Amino acid sequence: MVVQVTPDFLMRLSAAFSTLYLVALGHSLFEKSGMLNLAIDGLFFLSTGISVFTAVTAHHALVGVGVPTALAPLLATLLAGFASMLIGLLMAWVLTNLPVSHAAVGFSLMFLGYGLGILAGYRVRLEVGNIRPYAYPYELSTYLTAATTAVAAGLTIHYLLYKTNFGAAIRSCGENPHAASSLGVRVARVRMAAAALGLFILGCGASLFPLLWQRYWDVKTYILGYGWFAFTIALASGRHPLLLILFAAIFGGLIEFATSLQALYGLQVDLAKMIPFVVSLALMVVYGATRLRKILEPPSSLGKTYYREERSV
Amino acid sequence: MHSDDSVAVSVKGLRKVFPGGVTALDDVSLDVYSGEILALLGENGSGKSTLVKVLYGVYVPDSGEVRVNVGGRLTKVHIREPIEAMRYGIVLVSQVPQLIDKLSVAENLALTLSSLKWKGSTPLSRVSRFSRVIEKECERLGFKIDPNEKVYNLTYTQKQQVELLRSLVIDARVLLLDEVLTYLPTREKRKFYDILLKLRGEGRSIVLITHKLPEAFEVSDRIAVMRNGKILGVVNTKDVTLREVRSMMFGAAAQLLANDKTLLRKAVKAPKGEEIVVEGLHVKDDYGRDVVNGVNLVVRRGEIVGIAGVAGNGQRELLEAVVGLRRPERGTVRIAGLDITKKGAKLVRSLGVSFIPDRPLEYGCSIDHSVLDNVAVPFSLANGMLLKWDRLREVAEKIVSEYQVVAPGVEASLKSLSGGNIMKVVVSKEIESASRAIVAYNPTRALDEVAAAFVRQRIRVKAEKDEVAVLMASEDLDEVLLMSDAVYVANSGRLYGPLDPESTPREEVEKLMVM
Amino acid sequence: MVVLRRKKELRYGALVVSGLSLLLGLLIYVAIIGFFGVNPLDALASIARAFVTPTVVKDLLVLSMLGYALLVAFKASLWNIGGEGQFYISMLPGIVSTLYLFNLEQGAVVPPFAVVLLSVIGGSLLAAAWAALAGAIKAYLQIDEVPVTVIMNYVVYYLLNFLVWGPLKGKRTFGYLRTDEIPGVYRLNIRLPMLYISDPALSFLYSIARQVAYYSSFLVGAFLAAVFVWWVFKFTKLGLYVRIMGSNPNYLRATGVNTKVLAVATMALSGAMVGFAGSLYLLTELGRLPYELERQTAGYGYLAVLVTWLSLLDYRLVPLSAYVVSALRNAGTTMQVAGLGGVEQTLILIGSVLLVYSLTRFLIEYEVKVEW
Repeated sequence: MVVQVTPDFLMRLSAAFSTLYLVALGHSLFEKSGMLNLAIDGLFFLSTGISVFTAVTAHHALVGVGVPTALAPLLATLLAGFASMLIGLLMAWVLTNLPVSHAAVGFSLMFLGYGLGILAGYRVRLEVGNIRPYAYPYELSTYLTAATTAVAAGLTIHYLLYKTNFGAAIRSCGENPHAASSLGVRVARVRMAAAALGLFILGCGASLFPLLWQRYWDVKTYILGYGWFAFTIALASGRHPLLLILFAAIFGGLIEFATSLQALYGLQVDLAKMIPFVVSLALMVVYGATRLRKILEPPSSLGKTYYREERSV
Repeated sequence: MHSDDSVAVSVKGLRKVFPGGVTALDDVSLDVYSGEILALLGENGSGKSTLVKVLYGVYVPDSGEVRVNVGGRLTKVHIREPIEAMRYGIVLVSQVPQLIDKLSVAENLALTLSSLKWKGSTPLSRVSRFSRVIEKECERLGFKIDPNEKVYNLTYTQKQQVELLRSLVIDARVLLLDEVLTYLPTREKRKFYDILLKLRGEGRSIVLITHKLPEAFEVSDRIAVMRNGKILGVVNTKDVTLREVRSMMFGAAAQLLANDKTLLRKAVKAPKGEEIVVEGLHVKDDYGRDVVNGVNLVVRRGEIVGIAGVAGNGQRELLEAVVGLRRPERGTVRIAGLDITKKGAKLVRSLGVSFIPDRPLEYGCSIDHSVLDNVAVPFSLANGMLLKWDRLREVAEKIVSEYQVVAPGVEASLKSLSGGNIMKVVVSKEIESASRAIVAYNPTRALDEVAAAFVRQRIRVKAEKDEVAVLMASEDLDEVLLMSDAVYVANSGRLYGPLDPESTPREEVEKLMVM
Repeated sequence: MVVLRRKKELRYGALVVSGLSLLLGLLIYVAIIGFFGVNPLDALASIARAFVTPTVVKDLLVLSMLGYALLVAFKASLWNIGGEGQFYISMLPGIVSTLYLFNLEQGAVVPPFAVVLLSVIGGSLLAAAWAALAGAIKAYLQIDEVPVTVIMNYVVYYLLNFLVWGPLKGKRTFGYLRTDEIPGVYRLNIRLPMLYISDPALSFLYSIARQVAYYSSFLVGAFLAAVFVWWVFKFTKLGLYVRIMGSNPNYLRATGVNTKVLAVATMALSGAMVGFAGSLYLLTELGRLPYELERQTAGYGYLAVLVTWLSLLDYRLVPLSAYVVSALRNAGTTMQVAGLGGVEQTLILIGSVLLVYSLTRFLIEYEVKVEW
């Protein structure tokens, strides 16, 4: 099978990559601080809904003011990131100060994310129908910029996590928050900062789904479950910003070109849709069953309720 | 002798009661002077760890005050977090190094240093900035540590060195060392002593928690003895003898048991068949340290073998290996002639061996469930699919009445019982369900005198009547001496013995425990 | 603010937390949809009404069956979020048996009862295997069962889509892509005639009776599920082990019980019960498999999670919890936020209630003291 590297190919790959990578990157940063993020798919969809709403609304507002409308999708991305960031702050505060279940909180936010995302975007969707005109410009330069920005973000986060004091503090909270506290780390603050930054990136990444990748959105897209792909590649790559690049590129390519594969091999459309999920499962199994797990271990205290015998906030 | 401005830290009237009713600190008052090494001695549960944790902000006291020397004046402070303690120059180093394994030495230190905004560092500064400092201090102290080495690759000694390093880099004025030297090999220990003496010369204060008297006598200026949350007394080291301090530590207990009317007479027995045989056992603990170093022992049918020793000398890991809950590195364990060494707990249990674990709440029961449910587990291992609740209820009720468990009934959840009663349930179900052997750690921990005496009696009866072999480790020396047919002393992963409790002087056993 | 462990558990803590979750969750829901233009009073009225509409009966019974199924797994702290997948995969044996293996046109001689039995047993076993797979992945590979079971749900959606599009495509579907309807002889409904009764109270009662009769198989199923769960947890060793595993698997390990096998078996049992409900659902309500399952599912698998959680794992509270969730769901479907489908409404409701629940559950064992 010869892959032709056409501009179209590059754009599609860039879109898939940027979306999945940023979502997985932000999610990884969040989880590196020791908090489980089962809300990922809900946050993903919520961000798509908010970004669609903002893109369309901002577009019309900017037209009225005479400002270039190319700014609209950018505003949409930022606002989606901001909304996710707020949720991240809430999650971090709750999970570090109260002895509550990470899984339960994440899971409930997942449902809320679906519901709120629907409410955020449906009106606009009804009004304009096709959101294509409000998405990012369909040019190679835009797409490559997105991909490079994503990689740049990843490199920055990698530097942050592995070279700075802040990064050491984040990782210490994920490994052993009790020891970290004993060493002088303010666990609550560090987790909130990691959550804010991580989920901001996640929100931005998810906004690329309707505005860059699919160039489409409707209420029912919450059932697609793409957030779980990001979850899987984050898991399998050990939540490592650099290794994630590889996984996101491969997985993104797999999903995006599943339809091409479908055409090429005559695969029925549902089987093609199933492939990424089966591959996710397989990836998780391979990760769990082999030495990969040892090398790419999750943070030791991931998902563990943080409660000291006594705590002051 | 010491004036007020030479007091580094002072606590007055500290009280700390944990939920569940345990009084960890009972009106504790103590002054720590600059330029001194104060040894804090006491048995487990005496409150010494709680005291230093209060000073370090891990616990907040219910009442009482803490005062710290700030710029020459003793000032009242409220320390609520470790970082606050460190700002006042107080650092706690624990027996289990509180370091992040997956991070490097430099990164671990960076956590403290950047929290204290040391030399203007910010969250976004590079961690490598601290490497130079670390290298310099290592040179000064004679440590061989690579700042970029991951902590999990360090030896235990090196980890403690890192902790010490941390204290010195931030110029700690008060070092709280909680059983830090206990596990160090002798040579490293000496090096630490030298460092401690040097630090003392620099005017720093060191509170050294230990249970090893020779250690206290080697380096300390004063000794404070704690028991049951109270300070029994503070003496100048050069004014007392080891023997006197030892009797302060153990003395109270001996007096208590002089009144024990249930002194158990051991009948002269003919040697019976070997039930539990341990040969050349080496076991590692959860942190990868070698805590059982070549242990041999034999327990015969109907015999009670007691292992005396202070906690943390390998007893727990040894017993866990015997019941199949921990894989030994080397050696064998045979029960009833069967090699069970790496075969798991199910096999051991099926042979009729029951187990009273060291961490009873973690491994010995399910606290969210009722007395009946908890009793049901060991008593239904053999049965088929259905539970015979009538019989189980009978057993549970018998246990509750015989052991006098204070509970609203057998349906009561363990959570609603007091600590002592929970322990009664944990212990009794294992004793009563055993058919071949009982392996136990601190069987009468947290039990009042009457209950403890009853438990000991039941174990003795099981041994004599049912010929059950009993392998027991206990931190209560009197208990070991009272009950055992043969006594071993656990110290640093080795067993010394067997000793005959009748003929061996108590002092000798104590010496083996704290050497 | 200090969080302290209580000396004694909060009295009636379970009821307080459940009640609080429902009330506050409901308020949050009403506030959110109010922000988007729905009159809160209308919403509340709609919800109140939903509690007494006959349409609640179906959901109540289905969710009871599923609630019991998930209870078995949740008791062991195994979060079986794979209810959706197990529910639908269990329908395959039913479709295959009724439409192909024992197709009436081809002169099937096997009595319908046997075919129904085969469908139900086959469905339960298939769902059990599906759930056991997730259990094994958790037990032996320590991969969290939540993402695994969720991903497995998607696999089932698309697998079934493929089958419906392909081998199971209906021949008499008038252009809609779905399987054929299963023959009436295999359906499990009891149809009471539509009667006109003048007295409104009697009329109402009769409409309820009609619903119950139509869904009588669910009633039987729910009853069997309840009895089964009661029996397992009261009389069997498995029940005892499952309960203890949910609280302290270390205790079980210390007594030599193989907790890995136990985990797989528990998931299998939970899956079997979901499958039982699913196969009944096919034979009683659905009657066929649609295409694009993921768009058309009622989401019972996820609603059941809410039901089980709200029952606080007390089997006596499952039907009550199912009733409440059914009413809320039905309220959601009748409320219209500018033309949105009903399922979408329930998402916010489920999320709000679950969120409050997850944030207040700890109050049973801990208390919060605020120092000014």
